[in-house]
Amino acid sequence: MTERRPRVAEVGRDPPAAGGPPPNDTIAPSGAEGGTPSSRAAPKVRGPQSPRRLARPFGRAVLVAALALSAVVPFALLALWSVSRQWFYPALLPPELTGESWRAVVGGGAALSRAAVASLVLAALTGALGCALALPVGRALDRLGGWRRHLGAAAAFLPVAAPPVAVGTGLQFFLLTLGLGGTALGVLLAHLVPAVGYLSLYFLGVFSAFDARVEEEARTLGATPLQVLRAVTAPMLRRQIAEAFALGFLISWAQVALTLLVGGGAVRTLPLEVFAYVRSGQDRFAATGALLLAVPPLVALAAVRLAARRTEVVPA
Amino acid sequence: MSAAPSGAGSALRVVDIGVAFGAGAGLSGVSFDVGAGERFVIVGASGAGKTTLLRAIAGLAPATGRVEVAGRDVSALPPERRDAVYLHQTPVLFPHLSVFENVAFPLRVRQASEASVRGRVREVLAAVRLDGFESRAPRTLSGGQRHRVALARAVAARPAVLLLDEPLAALDPSLRGEVREAIVAAQREYRPALVLVTHDLDEAGLLADRVAVLVDRRIAQVAAPAELFARPASLAAARFLGVANEVAGRVRGDGAFESPLGVLPLEGRGAMAGPAVAVFRPDAVRRVTPPEAGVAVRVVGHRHRAQRTSAVVALAGATLELPVDPLDIPPVGAELRVVVEPRLVTVFPVDAGPPAPT
Repeated sequence: MTERRPRVAEVGRDPPAAGGPPPNDTIAPSGAEGGTPSSRAAPKVRGPQSPRRLARPFGRAVLVAALALSAVVPFALLALWSVSRQWFYPALLPPELTGESWRAVVGGGAALSRAAVASLVLAALTGALGCALALPVGRALDRLGGWRRHLGAAAAFLPVAAPPVAVGTGLQFFLLTLGLGGTALGVLLAHLVPAVGYLSLYFLGVFSAFDARVEEEARTLGATPLQVLRAVTAPMLRRQIAEAFALGFLISWAQVALTLLVGGGAVRTLPLEVFAYVRSGQDRFAATGALLLAVPPLVALAAVRLAARRTEVVPA
Repeated sequence: MSAAPSGAGSALRVVDIGVAFGAGAGLSGVSFDVGAGERFVIVGASGAGKTTLLRAIAGLAPATGRVEVAGRDVSALPPERRDAVYLHQTPVLFPHLSVFENVAFPLRVRQASEASVRGRVREVLAAVRLDGFESRAPRTLSGGQRHRVALARAVAARPAVLLLDEPLAALDPSLRGEVREAIVAAQREYRPALVLVTHDLDEAGLLADRVAVLVDRRIAQVAAPAELFARPASLAAARFLGVANEVAGRVRGDGAFESPLGVLPLEGRGAMAGPAVAVFRPDAVRRVTPPEAGVAVRVVGHRHRAQRTSAVVALAGATLELPVDPLDIPPVGAELRVVVEPRLVTVFPVDAGPPAPT
């Protein structure tokens, strides 16, 4: 059995050896010497810190710093690249700055801004339609029992688990026969396939934890199913629906394979445009597009963090 | 037995309801009437189908048979059009709405005017002694307050029938009293027919105008509490009601019951002549001292309850329970002499099968 760590270890010190005497830089209360539970819970007095004890917080700080740098450095470099006219090794910083790519985005005429708008519209529609479709699917799956529930969940999981290229190839054949190859509608339908699968599983989890008795009671109080949905279910699940919308949005926003296979290059989204700029060596525009791609996930992360903070607040 | 006393003046009429639940056969042929403003309690063991029956009446569970509310056949109607509000065992409030908006909910879905909503909500909250709680969130309320808000919301809808599913089961004794009083007060004020299910016989006795006993998938008996506990209609009902004492014997040709207890005159209340079982409550047994005659019994144990202490005595292979003074308990092994009050004895033939449909 794992022994509970003494409190002193929580501020960066080693615990005493099991059954052994307390460290000599701590003062145990009289009558509670040796590693007894009472001595472990007793207040300790700090002594001089040994190098080994100092190494642990230092190691933690290095790890945290490495993680932060790995997250920040790529974006910092992208930001520099997006405003650099020409930046070659061994120059540490761009010798000359330009706002050309950003002006193109803001101006709205450039391929980058058109692609960003197309991506935004596609992602928003995918999020909204994905929620509208996945919410009832998730609810239906939740109400199924036994093997039907497992089968339904597996079916929803399939387009999520399968490689996008495989899903896209199959969808391409199907959508081409419908005359939707190379169209925005075809790409939207293609994006909806993994989004609905993923969001159905998400809503299955949501409804597994949802207390449906509130809906029953609302019905007997005189509310029609539509009134229950509008006045009870939807407000109660507002945060979950917003999260699902964000998930659907991000699934579409980052989609490359399905867009390429079904859109056939005719539907230009931001990720495709970034790929094109990278291939053609236009680093400034590639970096600008890549930074734009990072914005919605960052906004979603911030929103989730804020929502989590709000739910932690317990009013008096 | 009064399962279907009226019909025309009933707020609720349940006719030949059948519902399936669990892996068993479910309920079948359940019929009863509840009058307007009446408190009707259905008692049954856990798993007897009480909740399913209540849900079927509310339209929340599929059922065969007919349900009439205020003379209107609602069997084919959805829950919102049945005029019967169902309250779950634990209060289910809308967590995103304030107390005011929770209580206003049934009025808002009926598009009541703002003025009437405000007036009505204030009135029902006052009726359950929650005035001043309008702006509170449900999560800030105590258990008893939540129950009272749920009750206020239910009566705000002015239903013809109020269906309560074991409303006191999950409460501690002090809260039970609070919620019980709120139920009775709200029901008296707004006069819905109240149908409450419980497995707690004491609660049934305290709340009910009439009690129905659900045994073996059917209503075994419907009676006022006093009559029910004194005169169970069948051996199955008596056993469910915990009448406690059973003595085997036989009914003689002259109608008297003969057993190790002696000969008990039944005054026409007995079964047909032949083997029979007499059932009676502990308070039908009385200790006697000489010169009064009685039957000799030996104490074999004690039972201590909050409201009564009993001695368990052995009599010809059977055991009986009789109340004793909690400060003067006869020790195990002591010999007592007892008599049984014949008026409080009910006799059933030994081969009593399931009770006849009511």
